[in-house]
Amino acid sequence: MEFFGLTAGQLGTLYLGVGAAVVVLYILKLRRRQVPVPFAKLWKRVLIERPSSALFQHLKRILSLLLQLLLLGLMVFALADPRFKGLSRAGRNLVVLVDGSASMQATDVPGGRATAAREAVRRMIREMGSADRMLLAQMDGEVTALSPMTDDVASLENALKDYAPRDTGLDFAGATRFALDAIRGLERAEVVIVGDGGYGPARDGAGEVRLPEGVPLRHVAVGRSGRNVGISAFSARRYPLDKTRYEVLVEVRNYSDRREEIELSLYADDAPLEVTRMTLEPNGSQQRVLRDQSGANQTLEARVQFADRTRDDLPADDRAYATLPARRRSRVLLVSDGNLYVQAALLLDEYIESEEATVADAPQKMREGRYDLVVMDGVTVPAPPGTAVLYLHPSGTDSPLEIDGATPEAAEIRRPFFERIDARHPLMRFMSDIEDTNVGVATRYRLREGDRAVAASAQGPLVVVGQRTGGRFVAVTFDLRSSDLPLRVSWPVLVINTIDWIHGEDPAYLSSFKTGESWRVPVPAGVDRAEVEGPDGRRSSAPVIEGRAVLRGMRAGFYRVRAGNEAQIVAGNLTDPDESRVAPRAFAELNGTRATAPIAGRVGVRRELWLYLLAGALAIVVLEWLSYHRRVTV
Amino acid sequence: MGLTDFFRKSLAPPAPKEDIFDDEFQRKLDYLAVISRRLFAGRLRAERRTKKTGSGIEFADHRQYNAGDDLRYVDWKVYGRSERMLLKLYEEEEDLSIYVLLDCSESMAYGEPSKFDHARKLAAAMAYVGLANLDRVALLAVSTKVDKTLPSTRGKGRIFKIFDFLRSVRPKGETALADAARQFTTQQKRRGIAIIVTDLYDPEGFERGINAIRYRKYEPMVIHVVDPRESDPGARGDVTLVDVENGESREITLTDGMVKAYKEEHEKWRKEIDDFCKTRQVPYVAADITKPFEEQVLYLFRRLALVE
Repeated sequence: MEFFGLTAGQLGTLYLGVGAAVVVLYILKLRRRQVPVPFAKLWKRVLIERPSSALFQHLKRILSLLLQLLLLGLMVFALADPRFKGLSRAGRNLVVLVDGSASMQATDVPGGRATAAREAVRRMIREMGSADRMLLAQMDGEVTALSPMTDDVASLENALKDYAPRDTGLDFAGATRFALDAIRGLERAEVVIVGDGGYGPARDGAGEVRLPEGVPLRHVAVGRSGRNVGISAFSARRYPLDKTRYEVLVEVRNYSDRREEIELSLYADDAPLEVTRMTLEPNGSQQRVLRDQSGANQTLEARVQFADRTRDDLPADDRAYATLPARRRSRVLLVSDGNLYVQAALLLDEYIESEEATVADAPQKMREGRYDLVVMDGVTVPAPPGTAVLYLHPSGTDSPLEIDGATPEAAEIRRPFFERIDARHPLMRFMSDIEDTNVGVATRYRLREGDRAVAASAQGPLVVVGQRTGGRFVAVTFDLRSSDLPLRVSWPVLVINTIDWIHGEDPAYLSSFKTGESWRVPVPAGVDRAEVEGPDGRRSSAPVIEGRAVLRGMRAGFYRVRAGNEAQIVAGNLTDPDESRVAPRAFAELNGTRATAPIAGRVGVRRELWLYLLAGALAIVVLEWLSYHRRVTV
Repeated sequence: MGLTDFFRKSLAPPAPKEDIFDDEFQRKLDYLAVISRRLFAGRLRAERRTKKTGSGIEFADHRQYNAGDDLRYVDWKVYGRSERMLLKLYEEEEDLSIYVLLDCSESMAYGEPSKFDHARKLAAAMAYVGLANLDRVALLAVSTKVDKTLPSTRGKGRIFKIFDFLRSVRPKGETALADAARQFTTQQKRRGIAIIVTDLYDPEGFERGINAIRYRKYEPMVIHVVDPRESDPGARGDVTLVDVENGESREITLTDGMVKAYKEEHEKWRKEIDDFCKTRQVPYVAADITKPFEEQVLYLFRRLALVE
C-alpha cells in the first residue's frame, strides 16, 4: 500500500481534531424534543418494566459514537489517497493520435467515422489501468494536443470533446514525430493510432520516422466502405488582356470502383452559372474547362453530387471554391509627342483610364492628378515622389538610368536580342514571343544598386525594373519604333503586366489555396497584422510577413482577410486525392514496427482506494439514515 | 410570503372557536331525547323512585314501632297475626337529583380535537335528558376541587343555563377526583346520581375518587372519555416526555416497541377500571371521542340506564 495524499502526521492531527469535536458533541447533553403526554404515570409503569431497554439505548449511543468515529476514519484515510503497491509503477504511457483529416468526415459508418473514432478512444480511456496515463492528440494538417499526459479520466473524456476532423490532408510524419517527442524518456510507452488507415508515408526531410525499440504500436481501424466522388481541381483566372472575362478549370474524380453519374454545378457569386451532367468511370476523372466566362465579380464555387441527388460518403470534397482577383481602375498619363502603339496598348483594357500630356504640361498634370502610372515615351520629366513610371527609351537629366558611355552613340547597342529573360518576374509573364523580337538599336544604361534587368541581351539590359523616389519604374532601353515589339502580342502584355506589377496585382494570382498548408496572402503595405474570418465565422489574427498575411486554413470555403482598410476574399479547398479516397486502407506497420490491436489496462477499473473509502462512508451514512427513518434503531 | 405577510399572519387573532352548543347541537339533543323515550317506552315516568323511604304509596319495608310514630302506618294485619307492632314503610317519591361532574383538569385538553369538548357535549346531553325528565340537574366543574358549580335546576328551558355554564369552564390544573368528590358531597346534601365525565387520569388513582362518591351514598356513574390516539405520542427517538398537568418530565428514547408496550399498558389500565366498576356495580362507559356523538349518547343512555 502506498500513500499519495496527506502525510501521516497531517492525517493524525486531522483525525484527532475532528474526532475530539465529535466526542465533545456526543458528550454534550442532547437537547431533546419535548413531547407532552396526558398521563405520565402510565409511562412510568412502562419504563419500570423495561430496564434492559435503557441499557440497550445506552449501548446504542456508544455504538453511534463509534460509528461516527469510523466514518471520520474512513474519510481521513481517503485523504491519504492510498493505492495498492505496484500498480502505480506498472502504468503505461499512451499517446493516442486520432486521425482528424478530411477523410474522417466520411459517413460510411453510423454517426460517421469521427463518432466511431471518438467512441473507440472513449473505450480506451475507460479501459485504462489505474496507473495508466494518456495523451490525446488530433492529427490532420498539423498536430494538436487535446490533453496533457494525464491519468484523469474525466479530463481525458472532456478533452475528447474537442476532437473534430477538419478539411485537410494528413501530416503523418509530423504526427508520429510528435508522438516520439511525447514518449521520450517515458517507460512503458505505447503509441495508439485511431483512424481509417490512409495516412501516407511517415517520412519527412529528416528521414523516416521510427518508433524506439520496444514501443508497441497499436492501431484502431475506423471506416467500412467508400463511395465518393469529389472535385480534385478547381481553378479560375482572368484573361490578361480582358480582365472582365475568365476561364475556369474543374476536375472531378471518381474514387470508387463503380461507374457514377454525377451532376456538376458552377456558381458565380452564389448565382448558378452552369450545370453539367457527366459520367465518371470507376476511379476515373474528367476535366472541364469553361472558357470565356463572365458574370462573376469575385467568387466561384463548384458543387458535385450524384445525378440522383444522393450524397456520397465524403461531403467535404463535394464543394470547391475559387476567387478571381479584384478589378481596379487605373489612371495612366501618357507623356509623348504622339505614339499610336502606346495609345493602342492603353486602350486594350477598359479598366485603364488614360490621358495624354506634352512635356510642357506634364509636371502640372502630375501634381494635380493622382496617376497610377505615367508613361514617358522618349522623354523624361521630373515626377513627384512615389510616382510609378514606364520609361520608353529614356534620355535627358531626369532619366532614372544613366547612359553607359561617354556619348549616346558610344552607348548604342546594335541589333540586340532578348537573350536573358527573367520569366519568373511578373513583368515578363505570358510574353510568349518576346524572344523573337527584333530590335534595331538600343541604348546601354548603367544600372544602380537595386535595379534589375528582367530582359537583356548580351550587350546590355533591354527591360529594367527598379525604384526611384518611392515609386517603381520600368524602363525599356530602346525606341519602340526601332523594333517590331509593337507588332507582337508581347507589347500590350508588357503594358498590362507593368500596370499590374505597379498595382501589386500578381499575374500568378492563386484562385484558391490548399487547406492544411500555410497561405501567404498579399496585403497592402504598412500593416503588420490581418484579421481573418473563416468559413465557419470564427475570427483570428494572422501576422503579416514581407507584405503577406501568413495564415493556415483548416476548413474549405471562403475566408475574409482584412488588413488595414482593405478586405479581400481568399478560397481554401481540400483537393487532396489521398483524403478523397475514403475506402479504408490497411495499416500494418510504421517503418518496421508492426501495428497490433490495442489492449485494455491491467486493471479494468480505477483502483484509487479513496473512492471506495468514500463510497463505504456513504453506504454507512445511508444505512444509518435508513435505520433511523425506518425506526430500526430508534 | 413576504415578511409583512408573515407578521400579519402571526399577529392576527386566532380564529374564533366554533360554538359546540349551537342550534344544531340542541336539535340533536331534542332528537336524542325523543329516541331515548321511544327506546324506553313504558318505563319512563315524570318522576323516579329513590331508595329513600318516606311517605309514598309504594310499600317498601317494615320497621319496629317506636314511641311517637304515626299510628296510621302501623300494620295491623301483622299485629293481628304476630302481635308485633310494625310500621309500614313506603318509598318516598321525590324528584331525582342528577349531578354531572365534569373533569376540567389540563389532561382533558390534550389532543386535537380535545377530549374536553367531547366531555362537555356528553355532559350537556346527560343534563338535557335529566331536565327533560323533570329531574333536578346540577353541574360541577372539578379538578383537584370543585372549581365551579351550577346549582340544581329543573325544566327543559334551563338547558341554556347549562350551555352557558359549560361554555364558561376551561380545563386547567391537575386531577384529584377524591378531593373534588369529598368537596362535592359536603356541598350537595341531597343525594342522587353523580355522573362523572372524566379521563380518569388521576395520579392518586381513579378508585379513590369513585369510592369517595360511593361511600357517601351517591350513585356514581362513570363516563370515561377516551381518545385512542393518546396511546401513541407520535414522536420517536430521544425525547423528553412531559406530563401536561404537573409538568413532570422524563427523558427516554422512544421506540416502536416502547409505544407498543405503552398501548398494552393503557389497555390494561382501562381493563382495571372496567373491572373495578363491575365489581362495585358502578355503571361504566368508555366514550371514544373518535366515534359519532349520537351513537355514543344512545349507547350511554342504554348502558347507564339513565332513563329507567
